[in-house]
Amino acid sequence: MGGEPEWEQLMTSAGWSFVEVAAYLLEREEREVVLGDLIEAGESAWLGLWDVLGLVARRQLVPLKSWRPWLASFGLALPASLLLMGFSVSISQTYQRLIHPTVFKATGLTIGPGFTLLVCNVLLLIGWSWTGGFVMGAVSRRTVRMSAVLSFLPCVFCLARFRVESLSRFCLLLFMFPAVWGVRRGLQISQIRLRTALILAVIITLLTIPTWSSSGSWIPNWVLSWPAWYLVATAWSGSADAKLYRSRATT
Amino acid sequence: MLGEFEYLLITAAAGLGDKAYGAAIREGIEESTGRKCSIGALYTTIDRLETKGLLKTWMSDATPQRGGRAKRMVRVTPEGVLAAKSFYDAVIRVSRGASWVANRNGSSL
Repeated sequence: MGGEPEWEQLMTSAGWSFVEVAAYLLEREEREVVLGDLIEAGESAWLGLWDVLGLVARRQLVPLKSWRPWLASFGLALPASLLLMGFSVSISQTYQRLIHPTVFKATGLTIGPGFTLLVCNVLLLIGWSWTGGFVMGAVSRRTVRMSAVLSFLPCVFCLARFRVESLSRFCLLLFMFPAVWGVRRGLQISQIRLRTALILAVIITLLTIPTWSSSGSWIPNWVLSWPAWYLVATAWSGSADAKLYRSRATT
Repeated sequence: MLGEFEYLLITAAAGLGDKAYGAAIREGIEESTGRKCSIGALYTTIDRLETKGLLKTWMSDATPQRGGRAKRMVRVTPEGVLAAKSFYDAVIRVSRGASWVANRNGSSL
């Protein structure tokens, strides 16, 4: 009988530890406010835990009401990762065909006739991956993890089924490096200058010209090129707003 | 137009005046409705109303009664007052003639 209060105390303190751990899923200021409210209301630890988890769930679900995370996930991350994986493999195969390894070992590079096209394709891969990653980071900051999972799922599937003996399966992931760099920049700055965005979009579009002659390539081209033009549109809108604020400030 | 819970929150905050903050508003809503008000519903609604410009919030200093934790203070803006008044007027108008309304046509039930 004498042990009951001690047991209750132990359970209460264990419960509050859970509440505090769960509250770490909230932002710092909100965590302080919520824990303070629970202490003030004198709620039991388990009800408090339920309340905190409810708030965490709502915080995670609220961004999904917007169109942005859906666009970033299903309009960009999923299709772009599939196409960029194919493009990465194509570049790896072209590289292997043009630069023969035995000649490479003995004398250095042997440049084949398609070398310029290969360079164009490498630049295109970097441009598409970086702009796609940037838009993904900028458009869905709070749901970037969901977009990342959706872009990585096809990669896991393809990595498991990859059966080209002459190529390492990591050739599939060539696009990941510029894409991750793009996501990081998108999360940091969300918008680039209009001139930079325009130059980037024009270069990417020009680099796609060699593929215009092949029928059926315009769909993947535009799926991968729209982020570059989206960056132009957002930069243009941002610079128009800045001009408006400047003119208001001077008048 | 406000939602029901948004109206309750604004009205509770307006009633508390300078002492309106999360826990006090929650207690006020629970007392007047007799229903449990979750912290999740409270703070996501406060955020939504603040985005609409109907509330303004700021952090207070930490107090010992709350284990040294700060409060999120709330003030209803003039736009919030107008929105709540418009909701209240609509409820009064739509309730005219309803069987449960006292003093209907000058008589009570």
